[in-house]
Amino acid sequence: MQIFPLHPFRPQGDIPALRQQVRALVAEHEHRWTPLQRANCWFSFDPEFSRAMGAAGLLGMTWPKQYGGHERTMLERYVVLEELLAAGAPAGLHWIADRQTGALLVRYGTEAQREKYLPGMARGEIYACIGLSEPNSGSDLASVRTFAKKTNEGWLVNGQKVWTSGAHKSHAALTLLRTEEGSERQQGLSQLMIDLDTPGITIRPIIDMTGTHHFNEIFFEDVLLPHDALVGVEGQGWKQVTAELALERSGPERYLSSHVLLVALIDAIGPNPADEIAELIGRLTAEMWTLRQMSMSTAAKLDAGEDPIVEAAIVKDLGNAYEQALPRLVQAATDTDLAGSSALSQLLAYYLLAAPSFSLRGGTPEVLRGIIAKGLGLR
Amino acid sequence: MSENRQLLVEMAEGLFADLATASFEDAAPRLAEAGFATLLVPAEQGGFGGDWGDVLAVLRLAGLNAVAAPVAEPIIAHALLAQAGIAAPEGLVTLVAGNGRAPFGRHADAVVMVREGTLSLYAKGAFAVEEGSSLAGEPSDLVTPSGAPVASAPCSADLDGLGAFARVAQASGAMEAAFTLAIDHVNTRVQFGRTLAKFQAVQQALAEFSEEAAAVDAAAAACAAALDAGDAAFEIAAAKYRLGLAVDRAVPIAHRVHGAIGFTIEYALNRFTRRLMHWRSEFGSDAQWARALGHTVAALGGQGLWREVAARTDRLIA
Repeated sequence: MQIFPLHPFRPQGDIPALRQQVRALVAEHEHRWTPLQRANCWFSFDPEFSRAMGAAGLLGMTWPKQYGGHERTMLERYVVLEELLAAGAPAGLHWIADRQTGALLVRYGTEAQREKYLPGMARGEIYACIGLSEPNSGSDLASVRTFAKKTNEGWLVNGQKVWTSGAHKSHAALTLLRTEEGSERQQGLSQLMIDLDTPGITIRPIIDMTGTHHFNEIFFEDVLLPHDALVGVEGQGWKQVTAELALERSGPERYLSSHVLLVALIDAIGPNPADEIAELIGRLTAEMWTLRQMSMSTAAKLDAGEDPIVEAAIVKDLGNAYEQALPRLVQAATDTDLAGSSALSQLLAYYLLAAPSFSLRGGTPEVLRGIIAKGLGLR
Repeated sequence: MSENRQLLVEMAEGLFADLATASFEDAAPRLAEAGFATLLVPAEQGGFGGDWGDVLAVLRLAGLNAVAAPVAEPIIAHALLAQAGIAAPEGLVTLVAGNGRAPFGRHADAVVMVREGTLSLYAKGAFAVEEGSSLAGEPSDLVTPSGAPVASAPCSADLDGLGAFARVAQASGAMEAAFTLAIDHVNTRVQFGRTLAKFQAVQQALAEFSEEAAAVDAAAAACAAALDAGDAAFEIAAAKYRLGLAVDRAVPIAHRVHGAIGFTIEYALNRFTRRLMHWRSEFGSDAQWARALGHTVAALGGQGLWREVAARTDRLIA
């Protein structure tokens, strides 16, 4: 049994021209970006750049034109994403809306929901976040307790979400809630699209160990939402969410989040490095290159309508291992001053602290390896 | 997959499965008879007219079955000779790597060597053989010219690079074989009242193993595509290094889950793990390929790295 047959990545359209378009856009805006804004860039914010992406037709690329989309292919969108990540373009504001929430609304949303959110998302003006984890519900997502009670007036929501990335910058949160009283585990869950300016919602920051604010807690106290806040089918929230999570595991962000650190290292050592440091560059390049082949292959499989659950988990786990090792290897092999002001110093200091977060977003190694083992028939 | 490749794969599957435990003496004539050596030689020169994707398919199967005779070396030797316009000799032709080692050199009727842009073909009697053994117990002989070559011609190919690709391709099959043995073992071996497969620690270890096998498969396939596009120097360096990493991570897991039984000469696992460990060093070590790739990348610069990586796959899009 071949575990990972490589699927050819053959997007339609003029791909070099598409890359050129993204590179030109980055060149136009990058004067504003500090080295640290380019780090972990799908968590980094620049509203002007997000709007420029929208104006250039590079958001909502695969969505129907009637909702502001551009009806391009998933693989063209993949090319845009990898270009943004490789350049360290701050894409955090629109990232979730473009990657997940918008796509999910196209698939499951009502006509009214699509008309309300999608055009603004495609313009890079409406941002979304995802309400999944709760204080007692992390990797074990099926244990969510936040409850939406169906009343004559609408859904009455009470409870709390936590670790919600970007909630403080977002207009709406696609939230997984328990909608059937007394239901357990995967049963009785639904997804609601919640406007974050609704009365009764409080968002509080959680500062992470790098000193950055992107996590939040969201509290819901008697929050009344219209009946049509429901996305998809009542009670099918688990199925909708897991399909969504599987789709996002193999993306280029799973191995390119730290690419700017590799770039800074290469630029710092110059064109004629000593053999020892050349070896390190070679090693990191080899891993990055291999992950790219695997990520592209998985994207192509998804595009062909296949369901590569095991491949996606493999890409995420290997990508995570590579990205967590990268700053440690650079630290071990160079004399980089962690308190220094060079791009390499700033980025290395940041990534040493940020790396632990890579294994907690999108599934821990243990969860991912459990998925792989199950796929291999081992449980 | 081309129709020809389908036929080729079926033929190789049947033959290699037959040869899985055969000695060199039994396997070599059967391989010669099957004619794999001319896989890359154009049809108009009497060869199979295949591409590097075909070579990958065949070598992966050779690795999967731990065939104990050279499959890759004659394919590459005949391809280089055809390119150089030198008539291929009768019998077994093998390669001399940059470090002087020639797999199965003592059995060869001729050897191909590339030094400083010149390919030379030496017939038996015109080269000296100092016997050596690979980790898998196969001939890994030091070969040095002792007489005049039959023919020489300019050659731009990187012989070690092509050999490195061959090892990555064979390793992708050997990784699968070792992985399959490990899965079968943990699904049947009962300890503490349940199969080993029921232990979460074992599941996690095998998931890691599968990731490494997957990485080698992806690297091998990407190299074959690059070779067919005409230039694979970057890809081969990356893939051969990545193979080293995969061997480093996966071979210990293969043995760990097997316990003592995997350490015996009778049990099949060592036929794959010994080859994998040897191939890691053959046709360029981890350090050699990482250094070569690192110097290439340093010359490209930080932004140049990404542009190169992207352009190298964009050229494959028709």
